Amino acid sequence: MYVGQPIRRREDFRFLTGRGTFVDDVQLTQPILHAAFVRSPHAHARIKAIRTDAARKMPGVHTVLTGADWLKAGYGEAEGVWPVNDRSGKPARTVNRPFICVDNMVRCVGEIVAMVVADDRHQALDACEAIEVDYEALPANVVTAKALDKGTPLVHPKFGTNEVLESYHGNPEVVEAGFKKAHHITKLEVPTNRVTASPIEPRAYMGHYDVMNDRYTVWTTAQAPHIVRQYFTKSLRIDEHKLRVIAPDVGGGFGMKLYHYPEEPLALWGAIVTEHPVKWTGTRSECLMGDTHARDHYTVGEMAFDKDGKILAMRFKTLAAFGAYESQWQASITNAYHFTMLSLAYDIPGIFTEVKGVYTNCTPVDAYRGAGRPETVYQVERLIENGAKEMGMDPFVLREKNAIRPEKIPYTTAIGITYDSGDPPELFRKMRVLAKYDALREEQKKLHAQGICMGIGICGFFDMAGAGPVKMMNDLGAKIGCYDVASVRVHPSGKVTVFAGSHSHGQAHATTWTQIAADRLGIDIEEIDLVEGDTDRVPFGIGTWGSRSLSTAGMAVVAACDRVIEKAKKLAAHMLECAPSDLVIENGQFIVKGTDKKIAFAEVTNAAYHSGDRPKGLEIGLEETAFYDPTDCTYPSAVHLCVVIVDPETGRVTLRDYFAVDDVGRVINPMVFEGQVHGGCAQGIGQALMEECAYDPSSGQYLSGTFMDYAIPHSTDIPSFGIESHTTLTPSNPLGAKGGGESGTIGAPACIANGVIDAIWHLGVRQISQPMTPKKIWHALQSAKAGR
Amino acid sequence: MYAFNYHRPSSIAEAVKLLKASSDGRCLAGGMSLIPTMKHRLASAADLIDLNGIRELAFIRREGDALVIGALARHVEIADSADVKKSIPALAALAASVGDPQVRNRGTFCGSLCFADPAADCPAGLVGLNGTVITDKRRIAADKFFNGLYETTLEKGEIVTGVSFPIPEKAGWAKFANLASRFAIAAVMVAKTGGGVRVAVTGAKASVFRVPEMEAALAKNFSAAALDGIKISPDGMNNDLHGDPDYRAHLVSVMAKRAVQAATA
Ligand SMILES: Cc1cc2nc3c(=O)[nH]c(=O)nc-3n(C[C@H](O)[C@H](O)[C@H](O)COP(=O)(O)OP(=O)(O)OC[C@H]3O[C@@H](n4cnc5c(N)ncnc54)[C@H](O)[C@@H]3O)c2cc1C
Repeated sequence: MYVGQPIRRREDFRFLTGRGTFVDDVQLTQPILHAAFVRSPHAHARIKAIRTDAARKMPGVHTVLTGADWLKAGYGEAEGVWPVNDRSGKPARTVNRPFICVDNMVRCVGEIVAMVVADDRHQALDACEAIEVDYEALPANVVTAKALDKGTPLVHPKFGTNEVLESYHGNPEVVEAGFKKAHHITKLEVPTNRVTASPIEPRAYMGHYDVMNDRYTVWTTAQAPHIVRQYFTKSLRIDEHKLRVIAPDVGGGFGMKLYHYPEEPLALWGAIVTEHPVKWTGTRSECLMGDTHARDHYTVGEMAFDKDGKILAMRFKTLAAFGAYESQWQASITNAYHFTMLSLAYDIPGIFTEVKGVYTNCTPVDAYRGAGRPETVYQVERLIENGAKEMGMDPFVLREKNAIRPEKIPYTTAIGITYDSGDPPELFRKMRVLAKYDALREEQKKLHAQGICMGIGICGFFDMAGAGPVKMMNDLGAKIGCYDVASVRVHPSGKVTVFAGSHSHGQAHATTWTQIAADRLGIDIEEIDLVEGDTDRVPFGIGTWGSRSLSTAGMAVVAACDRVIEKAKKLAAHMLECAPSDLVIENGQFIVKGTDKKIAFAEVTNAAYHSGDRPKGLEIGLEETAFYDPTDCTYPSAVHLCVVIVDPETGRVTLRDYFAVDDVGRVINPMVFEGQVHGGCAQGIGQALMEECAYDPSSGQYLSGTFMDYAIPHSTDIPSFGIESHTTLTPSNPLGAKGGGESGTIGAPACIANGVIDAIWHLGVRQISQPMTPKKIWHALQSAKAGR
Repeated sequence: MYAFNYHRPSSIAEAVKLLKASSDGRCLAGGMSLIPTMKHRLASAADLIDLNGIRELAFIRREGDALVIGALARHVEIADSADVKKSIPALAALAASVGDPQVRNRGTFCGSLCFADPAADCPAGLVGLNGTVITDKRRIAADKFFNGLYETTLEKGEIVTGVSFPIPEKAGWAKFANLASRFAIAAVMVAKTGGGVRVAVTGAKASVFRVPEMEAALAKNFSAAALDGIKISPDGMNNDLHGDPDYRAHLVSVMAKRAVQAATA
C-alpha cells in the first residue's frame, strides 16, 4: 500500500536542485520580447492625456499599446466565474477588473495605463519612463470601515453607492430570542487585515501566436489552466480549440493565481501585435501591488452566552472589501465561503450575519488560502475568547462545552450547512494531551507572577473543502462546474500516464496521485507518471484551489483506475480462463484467487493493444477517463493551540509553540499533509502578527510595495509544530478523504490573536486588530495603562 | 536597471582613477544596498566600479590598540571573527544582527556606512564605538562622517578603505528590528571607553545620533538603572508603518537599557 505512507515527494529533486521549469524559464526557438507596463501611481485619478510618441522611438521598442488600442481591437472583459449575486434581489453592481485603462479613469494604484513591448525588459522599462501621463488626482476611498459613510468618494459613481452587494444569512428569530435570554453578552470589533499571498514565484505570462497554424499558446503561472483558456474566450475572444494554455511548474498559488490578471491577456495581445512571443515576469513590487489582495473585512460582532457558558446566539455585520473592481472569484468569499462556516466547531442555535460588499480604491480582493474562513474563525473565536474571560471561565473548557457532540453529526448548523463527519470533542481531548494544557496554565500563572506575559491561544473550527458538488456550488454562485477529471492511459508495456485536471503548484500531486493510482492498479509507483497543467494534453479540468483536488481530481484518478481494472480484468480472465470476479491484483499481477494461476499486468496490457484474441465486444486499448462530481463538499475540522510570549516593553510577540490536531479524513501522504499544515500556519502567523497591505488613509498611496515594508514571516519566526491527526472518514468519496490545504491559514490568525490577548489580558488589553505588530501591541498596553 | 559600464579594478589606485575619470561613477562593494536601489531605478551610475577584485581591502585585524576592518570585510566575517569577538564583542553582535544570512554573506560594514541608510546598524557601530573612517586620502572621525539622510561627508571620488575602532572597556548592542526588512526600528550601541561613554542610536531619526543625557548618566553610573527617568523626546523621530515617534522614542530607552545590560553582562 502506498496510500498512508510518507513517501518522499517525487518532484523535489528538480525543485531542490534549482531545476524546475517555471514560466520565466521557458525558452523558445524564436527570440522572446518583453512587456513592461505604465501603472497608475494614484489610487483614484482622471487621465487627461497619454503621450507615447517618444517611447515609440526608443531603442528596441516594438510597440506601445494603450486602452484606446484595446477598444479598437474590439476585445472584451474578464468575466466572473463566481460573479456577484445580490441575495436581497438587487441587480449586481459588477464592474470587472479592466486589463488596461479604457475609460480614462484609474481607480487603484497599479492599474495599467500603457504597455511597451521591447527586445528586453530594461528597454521596455526605459520606454515606459518616456511615456507621459497627465493625471488629475481625485480623492480616494481606501478605508473599508468607512466605504459606505456619507461623503466617502465613490469608486463607481454610476451606482450612487460603494455597495456591491448585500446578503443576509441565518435564523434571526432564534438569534433575537438568544440575546433576550442571555446571561452575558460580548461585543467586539473584529476586522481582518488586508494581506496578499506573496508566493515565492511571482506571476509571469508568456504569449505566442503561431501565424502559420493560427494557434495561440499561453504559458502562465496558473492554478486552473482550463479556466484560463475559458477566460481568453471573453478577453481576447479566442476560440478554445485555438488556444493552448500551459501552466508549467508553478511556485505557489494559494488561490491568488486563479484569476485573469491584466498582464495575462496583454502579453498575448503583445504577441499578436508584434508576431513575436512576449513575456512578462512580475517584479516583487508589481506583485505586492497587483496580485489580488485578500481578507479585508470590517466586522462587528456580538455573542450571547447562558450562565454556564453555552453559546446561545451570535450576530455580525460585515463590510467586505472588493477593492476597485470585482475580481473573477471574489463573490466565492462573500456569497459562499465566509458566512457558511460561522458555526465553527460549535453547537450554536442562533446565527445571523449581514454582509455588504464594498468598493474601495484599492487592489481587487479575491480568494487566498482559506478564502473567507480565516475571517470567520477569527470573528467568532475572538468573541468566544473574550466571552470566556469576561465570565471567568476557562476558555478551553468553555469551547469543549460548546463543541458539537459526535452523536449530533451529521450536524446542520444554524446557517444551514451540514457537517457530514467529525468529532470535535475528541479533537479538544487530544489537544489537551498534546499541548499539556493544564501544565501550560500552571506555567502561565508562574510566569505572570514573574512579569513574563505568556499567553495561550485556542481555536476550533470546521472547514468547507473540496468544492463541488457541481450543483451545490452552482447554488452558491459558481458558474463553473466544480467536478474534476482524470485520464489513466495504460501503455502496452504496462507503464501508466495519469492526466489530471488539477494542477500542483506545491501540493505534490506527482507523488500523491501516483500513490493512489499505484494502489488502485496494483503496480509500482515508479511505473506511473502524472501530467497536469496543459490544456492540449489534459481533459477539461477545474484546477486546484479550495482544498479540493484530492476529493475531486484524486477521486477521478480512483474512478478512472477502477474502470481500467474492470476492463483489464475482463481481458485477464479471458487469458486465464476464469471469471473476472475470480481475479485479484497484487504486485503487478492478476492472480486467480486461491490458486497459483496468474498473469503479469504488463502481459495483459500488451494484449489489450496487440492481441486479436479478446473477449467478444471488448474494445481495443486500455485508457479511461473519469469526470468525478462528488456527492458533497468535505468538512475537515481542527483544533489549534499556541503559546506566545509578549514583551510588554517592546510589544514584540514570540511564538513559542504551535499545536494542531486535524481531522482531514484519510491521509494519502502524512508528510505532504504536515507540510500543508506547516505552510498554512506560517501564512496564518503572518496574517496574525505582521502582514498588511497598507494604504495611506488620506492620500490612498500604497505603503507595502516591497518586502522592506510588507512583512512575511521568516523561518526564525516560526516554531516547531506539534501536529496530530484524528481521522473520521467522510462518506462523500470512496477514500473518505477531506481537504488538508487550508487548515493552517484558517486557524492560525484566530489562535494567535487569542494567545496574544490572553498574554496581556491581565494588563487590561481586550482587543487589538491584526496584524498585531509590536507597535500596535505597545500602544494598546499604553492605552490600557492609562485606563482608556 | 539603467544601463551602466562595469569595471573591476584590482588596486585602490586603479579604482580611484576609474572613479575620477567617470562623470557619474559609483563603487560596488557587497551590492546589498546599491543593487536593489538600482533595480528599483532609484539609483543609476554611468560606471560601476566593483571593489571586490581589490584583495587588500578584505581584512580584519588588530593593529596595536585598534581593531581595523577593511572595506571588503563582510558582515558575516565580522560576526564570526575571533579578533572581533575578543576585542569588541558588541561589534560582532551588531554584524550578526544585520539582515539575513544572504545579506551578511555579501554586505560590508563600510558599504553600509557609505550608504548611510537611516535604519542601518553599522552607523551606530561607528558612532557608538567612536571609530574612524579611513579613505584613500584621509581619516574621518565618526562624529564627522554622517551628514543626514543617505548623506556622508565623503567627497566625490573618495573611496573608503577601512574603519578603525579603539578597543572599548565595555560595549553593548541592542536592536529592535523591523519585522519586514529586519533593519532597525531603533537600535543602540553603548560603549564605555577611555574617552568617556557614548550612546549612539540608529533607526529612529534621519541619521544616527548620540544621546548626551544618557551618556552623562552612564558616565556617573554605568548601569541600566542609571537610565531610568531619562525621557527621550519623540520630536524628529521617524514615522512609518512600523513605528511612530512615540513608540520609537520609547524603544530608544528600552534598547539603551538593554545595550547597557549586554555590555555589563
Ligand atoms: C534584505 C536586506 C536586509 C538588510 N538588513 C540590514 C540590517 O538589518 N541592518 C543593516 O545595517 N543593513 C541591512 N541591510 C543592508 C546591508 O547591510 C548592506 O550590506 C549595506 O547597507 C551596504 O553594504 P554593501 O557592501 O552591500 O554596499 P553596496 O550596496 O555595494 O554599496 C552601498 C553604497 O556605498 C557605496 N560604497 C560601498 N563601498 C564603498 C567604499 N569602499 N567606498 C566608497 N563608497 C562605497 C556604494 O557606491 C553605494 O553607494 C540589508 C540589506 C538587505 C538587502
